[in-house]
Formats: sequence, structure tokens, C-alpha cells
Amino acid sequence: MSEILTVTDLCKSFSDQPVVNSVSFGVRESTTLGIVGESGSGKTTLVRSILRAIDPDSGTVRYNSRKGWQDLHSLSPKELLPLRREIQMIFQDPFASLNPRMTVQAILEEPLIIHGIGDKESRKQRVAAMLEKVQLEPSSASRFPHAFSGGQRQRIGIARALILEPRLVICDESVSALDVSVQAQILDLLASLQSELGLTYLFVAHDLRVVREFCDEVLVMYAGNVVEQGPVEEVFNNPQHDYTRLLLSAIPSPDPDEKLEPLARDGLQLEKV
Amino acid sequence: MSELRELSPGRLAWLRFRRHRLAMIAAGVLVVLYLLAMFCEFMSPYTPQQRNARAINAPPMDIRFFDAEGQFHLRPFVYDLELTINPDTWMREYEENTSIAYPIRFFARGEPYEFWGLFEADRHLFSVDPDGSGYIHWFGTDSLGRDMYSRVLYGARVSLSIGVVGVGLTLFLGVLLGGFAGYLGGMFDSAVQRMTEVLQSIPTLPLWMALSAALPAAWSPITTYFGVTIILSLFGWTTLARQVRGRFLAMREEDFVIAARLIGANDTRVIFRHMLPSFTSHIITTATLAVPAMILGETALSFLGIGLRAPVVSWGVLLQQAQNYQVIVMTPWLLLPGAFIVITVIAFNLLGDGLRDAADPYSSLREQ
Repeated sequence: MSEILTVTDLCKSFSDQPVVNSVSFGVRESTTLGIVGESGSGKTTLVRSILRAIDPDSGTVRYNSRKGWQDLHSLSPKELLPLRREIQMIFQDPFASLNPRMTVQAILEEPLIIHGIGDKESRKQRVAAMLEKVQLEPSSASRFPHAFSGGQRQRIGIARALILEPRLVICDESVSALDVSVQAQILDLLASLQSELGLTYLFVAHDLRVVREFCDEVLVMYAGNVVEQGPVEEVFNNPQHDYTRLLLSAIPSPDPDEKLEPLARDGLQLEKV
Repeated sequence: MSELRELSPGRLAWLRFRRHRLAMIAAGVLVVLYLLAMFCEFMSPYTPQQRNARAINAPPMDIRFFDAEGQFHLRPFVYDLELTINPDTWMREYEENTSIAYPIRFFARGEPYEFWGLFEADRHLFSVDPDGSGYIHWFGTDSLGRDMYSRVLYGARVSLSIGVVGVGLTLFLGVLLGGFAGYLGGMFDSAVQRMTEVLQSIPTLPLWMALSAALPAAWSPITTYFGVTIILSLFGWTTLARQVRGRFLAMREEDFVIAARLIGANDTRVIFRHMLPSFTSHIITTATLAVPAMILGETALSFLGIGLRAPVVSWGVLLQQAQNYQVIVMTPWLLLPGAFIVITVIAFNLLGDGLRDAADPYSSLREQ
């Protein structure tokens, strides 16, 4: 399968502190790339600079749009607009990412209005169809976000991201704010939407069990650097880097008798670039 | 009522507000005051410049239902005032003459006026028989025999509207400058910030005085009115601009704002559809709390004789008459406009408090 996104040598520092340091990777179409790492390892900065919510210092982000390869950072805002349809994002916090003053109908309709899709009636139908797709009642449309639970809000967030029929969806810790049973529901939903719509996911997470279950490939980040990348099974079964081993050893086991003994951090020889 | 979960945040805030009893009362008081001011030509029995030579510095007249014999009358009335000059002090003293009663007529004909400058009318909400023999001054009269109640109502129109117009202008300046400062950042932000600091460090009263003194004396009352309003708002916007800037700075990084940008919304849409609506409640509250400051500003300027001047009637202008202690001893009813100012300011503050509690989802009144 062909690649849909290629990132080369992406760098971003905040006040001289490198947060993303020369990161390169590629994502193949209709697969899921997991990005893991501890808090502060630069995952969010990385994906936000792909989306141009943050301007990186250097490096290129090339995206294989429906009209061929394009360098996202050399486009003017006007040229970027059609690409916004193809790349969407699902946020981490389902409470902060929905405008509290808008009804679900208005939230889901807005992307369609901005991109000039359909008339009032057809937009309404699309919203209803989308709500069904994310397994929410059609009557949800007239309600405000405060009337929903965390899991339901996250479904609204997913609906907003998918209503433009994107090809690449960036999930920035999209399930980590939810409790475990809701997490599983949302992951199932994302997986079924992927097989139905052929979506490509860029899945940022710190929960390795989720990544193992959900992703095809994985990218391990530490202090702004990619320390290891490859197919999930390979990385998880045969970690090459000390930091990956440390992360893997920190996964709690469901067996209550098994003691958690993460590797001592001090012994690690982590190369700082 | 529709289902609770379908209510908008605005409706929920209104529900919370309604449970704030003091604020509801304050809102009622303000509605009454503003209605009186809006329809002051009709509400008042006289025009503000109309003189009654038979009642100069007359004290407030009692409105009665029982006459001197203790008989009840369905139609309220006032007794005629008899003027005597105290031979020792040479002071005018008024005494009720219980042999002459003036019954109060509602919707009576009286002095003709031009309603809102639109049409001529001569009906007043209440007055006495229009044959010219009777009079009613239930707030008393001033040293020229002008009816204080009518003057307070006409003054209310100027004083209360200056608060709203001034705050409107303040809001406009504050939201515009603060909003751009917060959204654009950089040079513009620094410029606005420094300007705010300079303006806030100047003591307001001397500055107002200087600027008011610069208003040409030849200006018509209406131009002076707008001049004073502009002066008041030019220095009032700084606080609001700071708040708006702070909110914009914080909100620029909010997930739902970023989400809007990522679906391709342009700056105008982000600002007006997403950022501003989420703190309109805050702006309304700030505006409500800013109105009394405006009213007090106008009053202070007019009281000092550098704001509005007679023949314009405003509460500040009316209080100018009460500048000496003679008034307090001999004609204390001339201080009545002051009572109106106090009531208005308190009502606005209580209303603002209620609005703030209602708009703040973390207030103690929140529905569980």
C-alpha cells in the first residue's frame, strides 16, 4: 500500500528547548501508526505541527492528497483549506474540544458550511447519518455538549472529524481521558470506521496495551527523538532500545499475583542528541 | 418547559439568575426607573422648566386618602399650601390649608409637551385639575418653584441613558482593542497594553475635569452630552480591554478553538462564532457593573459644574443646587436626586452580582 504522509526531519523548539528533534517517519494508507512516549516526549507537538496548528522550525511534511503529493508547510491558508477536509483530528479532552455554546447539530454542521458542502436540508441529513454512524441517537442533534457523558462527547468529536470524509485522522490521546470500558467502545468504533471508510490513523497514546491492540506500526518517542519504530509485534516482542524496554516493562499485568517490576531508569544509557 | 438536557447554556444561566432574589428585585427596580425615564414627559405632572410662583421651595406634599375630618376618599388628593413668612427668621414656611383640596386626576390634561420630539401631547399620568388653581409637588419644589418630581424624571433620562450609551461605547472599544490585542499579540498587543497602563495611572477626576473644561461652552446641550459620554468611555475601556485580552489569550489555545481552526474556519469565524460567544455572559456582567461608574462619573462632573449645565436636567445638575449646607437644613428635598443615584447604583451592582453568579457555572447556586 502506498504512503499517505511522509514527515522528514521535523524540528520544533520552544525557547531553545528542542521538543521535537529531527523526526522522520511515513504512514501507509489505511493503516494505523501509533506514536508512544511519556508525557513531554513531544508527541502532541509533533502531530500539531503536522496539522499546522503549530509552525515547526524546520523539516517537511508531505501529504499524498487526492490531487497528488503536497508539502503542507509551503501552502498558503487558502491552498490548505481543501486539504483540511482530508486531514482531521480527534482531541484528547472530550470536554474541552466541543464548543459549549453550540448544539451538536451546529457543531457537526460547521465543517460542512465552511467547506460549502450541500444545502441546509442535505447537511441535516448528513449530520443525522453521521450521528448514526457513531452510534448516537438522532435526537442528540438538538442538544448541547453539556448534556452528554465523556464517551458520548468523544463520539461527537469523532463525528465532527469524520463528517468531512477525511482520509487521515489524527487521534491525539483520543481515548486516554475515558475510563476503560468506554475506551474499549470508542476503540471498537474507530476500528470499524477504519475498515468501513478506509481511514488512516495517526494514533498518539501513552497506553501501550491500547497501542498493541489497535496499531499496525509504532513509533517510540523519547525527549523529542524517535528511538525506535517498526511493526507493532516486532517492537513489542523484540524491543531494540532500552527506553522501549523500560516502557514495556511498565505495563501492568492483569494478573494480580504478578509483581510489577519496571526496569530501573537510572541504569539506562539513553543517548541525548 | 423543554427537557432540561436540551436547554442552552444561556437558558440554564437564566434559570440560575431567577433564583437570585436580590438581583431579581434590582432588575425590577431598574426596569421601573428606565420606564419612568423613557416616558418622563408622560409620567411627570409638569415640564422641567415650568415654574409655580405660588410654591417656591415648597416641601413635598402629602398624598392623602383621609381628609382632616378623618373621612375616606377613594380619589387621592393633596391640600393646598399656605405660605407664611416667619417674622423672626424671615423664612418662607408652608402649612397645609385643609380647606382647599386638590383631587388627583389620572391621565389629566396639563402642560403640552413634545413626546420624543415626535408628536405633541398634553396628557400626563397624574395631575390636578388643569384649571390652573391647584398644584401637586409630591417631591417639593426648588428655589424657582419647579416641580422636583418632574425634574428628577427628566434628569433620569439623561443620567440613566448616559450610563448605557457610555458603557456601549466602552464595550465597543474594550472588546475591539482587547480582542485584537489578545488574538494578534505582538506589537499591537504591546501598544494596547502600554496605552492601558498609562490611562490607568492617571487619576480620573482631574483628567475628566481637564477634558470637560476643553469642551466648548458654545456647544449645544446635546453635543455636550455626547462629549461627556465620550470622555467617560475613553477612560473606561481599559479594564474591559484587559479582561478581554486575557480571555482571548487563554481561549486561543482551547481545544474547541483549535478544532475550529483545523476544520478550516477563518479568523473572523473563530472570533465571532467560537471565542466571543463563550464569554458574552462575562461581558454582560462587566458591562452591568460598569454602568453605575458611568452614572457616577456624569453626576460628579455635573455636580462640579463642568459636565452638563443647566438648562439640561440631569441628576448631577439637580444636585448642584444642593451644594450648600443651607439646603440640608432648610430644603432637604433637593437631595432627592441623590437618593435616586444611590438606588440606581445599588440596583446595578446587585444585578451585576446576580448575573455574575448566574453566568459562572461554578457558583454555589448551580443546579446539582
